[in-house]
Amino acid sequence: MSVGPPLDVQTKHYGSEYAMVDYKTNSLNLYLSTSYAPMEQLTVFGNINYSKSKAELDQVVMPDITDLLYNEVRDATDLTHQDFTFAEMHEYSNLDYALLGLNLGMEYRFTGGVVLTLDGTYYDLNDKAGFVYGDESGSYFLLRSGVRFEF
Amino acid sequence: MKKILAYATGGLIIWSLVAASVMAQGITPVSKYTLWIGNHYTDFADYRGKVGEYDRGQERWLPEFILEHVSRGEGQFTSFKAHYFDENNILGTLTSRVGSRFQADFRYRSSVPQKGQDLLANLETREAINGNPGGKILTHEILDPGAHYSVHRRELEGRLDYLVSPSHNVKFMAAHKTTLQSGTEQKTSANHCFSCHVTSNGVKVEKVIHQLTAGLQGDFGKHTAGYEFAYRSFESKTMAPTAYYDEAKHPVNGGSGAEFTSRQNFSDTSLPYGTYPRTEKVQHKVRFKGPLGSGDYATSLSFSKSFNRDTDLDGTSWVGSVSYAYPLDVRTRLIAKLIGTKLDVDEVFVDVPTYRRGRPGPQSEFDFTRYSSLNRFDLRGSLEVIRRFNEKVTGSVLLGYDNIARDDYPVHDEGLTTSRFTGEIKVRYRKGLRYSTAIKYRMEKTTDPFTSGRGLFEARGRDVLNPPAANFAFVFYYQREGLRYQNITTQPTLVHIFEWESSWKPDKAVNVNLGLKGKYDKNGDLDSLDVNHLMIQPHLALNYMPNPRWSLALGTNYSHAKARGPVAVALFDG
Repeated sequence: MSVGPPLDVQTKHYGSEYAMVDYKTNSLNLYLSTSYAPMEQLTVFGNINYSKSKAELDQVVMPDITDLLYNEVRDATDLTHQDFTFAEMHEYSNLDYALLGLNLGMEYRFTGGVVLTLDGTYYDLNDKAGFVYGDESGSYFLLRSGVRFEF
Repeated sequence: MKKILAYATGGLIIWSLVAASVMAQGITPVSKYTLWIGNHYTDFADYRGKVGEYDRGQERWLPEFILEHVSRGEGQFTSFKAHYFDENNILGTLTSRVGSRFQADFRYRSSVPQKGQDLLANLETREAINGNPGGKILTHEILDPGAHYSVHRRELEGRLDYLVSPSHNVKFMAAHKTTLQSGTEQKTSANHCFSCHVTSNGVKVEKVIHQLTAGLQGDFGKHTAGYEFAYRSFESKTMAPTAYYDEAKHPVNGGSGAEFTSRQNFSDTSLPYGTYPRTEKVQHKVRFKGPLGSGDYATSLSFSKSFNRDTDLDGTSWVGSVSYAYPLDVRTRLIAKLIGTKLDVDEVFVDVPTYRRGRPGPQSEFDFTRYSSLNRFDLRGSLEVIRRFNEKVTGSVLLGYDNIARDDYPVHDEGLTTSRFTGEIKVRYRKGLRYSTAIKYRMEKTTDPFTSGRGLFEARGRDVLNPPAANFAFVFYYQREGLRYQNITTQPTLVHIFEWESSWKPDKAVNVNLGLKGKYDKNGDLDSLDVNHLMIQPHLALNYMPNPRWSLALGTNYSHAKARGPVAVALFDG
């Protein structure tokens, strides 16, 4: 344990500076769904979904306050060692997702209330930002088949 | 789990009694059963937690089934559905009605949403002084890198409605919901700014929520009176996680340990963090409604009390409401509403260790009493006139006024009072089933919206801040609080909202819907800070069904939102 003065640098305060920034989010969703029965026993169906979401913060560009400090404070203090450009900070808020979903299926009805079903689903997520949770890009495929009894 | 099974068993017994009752009355229901038996195969590539957020299926064939049953008969209806996707994803619903006297609804849902791991990558920076690393540091540490978090959520809920006496329309209602959550979640703990070291770890989750509601209502002449009781409890059954608090020392040279330790609450120790309190809430509510003069009234009064069983802290609320609908003429109706809410939450005394305890020079006590910002009296009133001009056009005008008088925020016994004036106009045009359009415009003007009690900016303090004791050369960071100024909030003083919705059905095969929602708000009370928000959401949908064998639906929606606000930094050196 050391003893002595708590800090070897004295605190000096020069006020605050600020910049106005915009945070923009845009999302677009498109969908198409259809069902067709080419014959009485057979029905085919499918749908397509596409969504794209993007969010970003403008880069924070602080104003040059050298003159302001001098005029208001009458202090030629050199603060150039403090870097307020924040060249990369805004990127941590970026989101950029694109999700494509496809589904295709069919139902064939036999006599006696027995229906054969088959369908497949595919999702593909493209994550172009990945700052918060890392790259979450991935794809998912589901194939489902079965028999339905109606009675 | 035993409670869930007991509850499900009870529900099925009641359902069986309902069915037996139906059969006993000699009603022959027309019923239909559907059983789907199948299987599914899931396959993933790359990261699966987002694209398959609710699907933890394995990459092999798994059994799946769906059972549905619907029966309708004279005075009875029963609907049942069960969907087993895998052991984690299960849905079951049951609805049963017998005449107008009995109705029961049950629902069970199981799912396992997965959550990504916040990499905390934005918590990594260090001051540079003339190109050399400085003492202001922010670092992060993931103690379980690559971990996958998920919480198994199971909900079981039921509701029973029984008409006790048809002559006085006396109805009894009881409902219950149990929510169980188990799994793991990410939690962070932060050291004080002697190291600004944020750590993250996965912790166990075992939460139980019970909600119970019961009520009785009946008619007395032309008037209806009702009473409702509600109870809610929350409990976390896991041991509180612990976090290590770093040894306090100078962030650059590693010295001055005694001085830095004297300024911290914790140093070089492991302590519980992120605990969940055991809470309970009890609510009583009475309601009355009926005719009054040429109009109809409805009023209610409720009292609720919340308990924190770990700290003996309570919160109470009183909510009273009254509304009156009065026909001005055969085409015009006036609706008046008034709602008052009183919230009171116990204050908390926070005992903080002495700042710079045992050190030479000035020492400070930062003990304080925290008064809740929820303490308030909230009064909201509105007048609305709705007029049906003709068979095609309906319009309404609404004027509203809200007043929120806070007791203790930002200052104890000198709270901020917010008032808001609202104006809204709606017009709806309908031409049979072929065409309809609705347009709404709403404006809200707010005086003194909720603002942060702490200033956004820091005034120049070189000539203001002085050492807190004689013969002492240094000022401390905490003294900067006295330099802060400038109100800041994201709450607006002026809001404009516009909504438009149209539908067009040119023939039996085609149906088109389109619309637009827009919102703009700004705060004009923040001096030069131009804080505002803009949101625009258009949408379009088309349905086409030329014959019973082919159907087509397509559409799009778009959303644009922009929020403008300040980013501020303090210019200090030391």
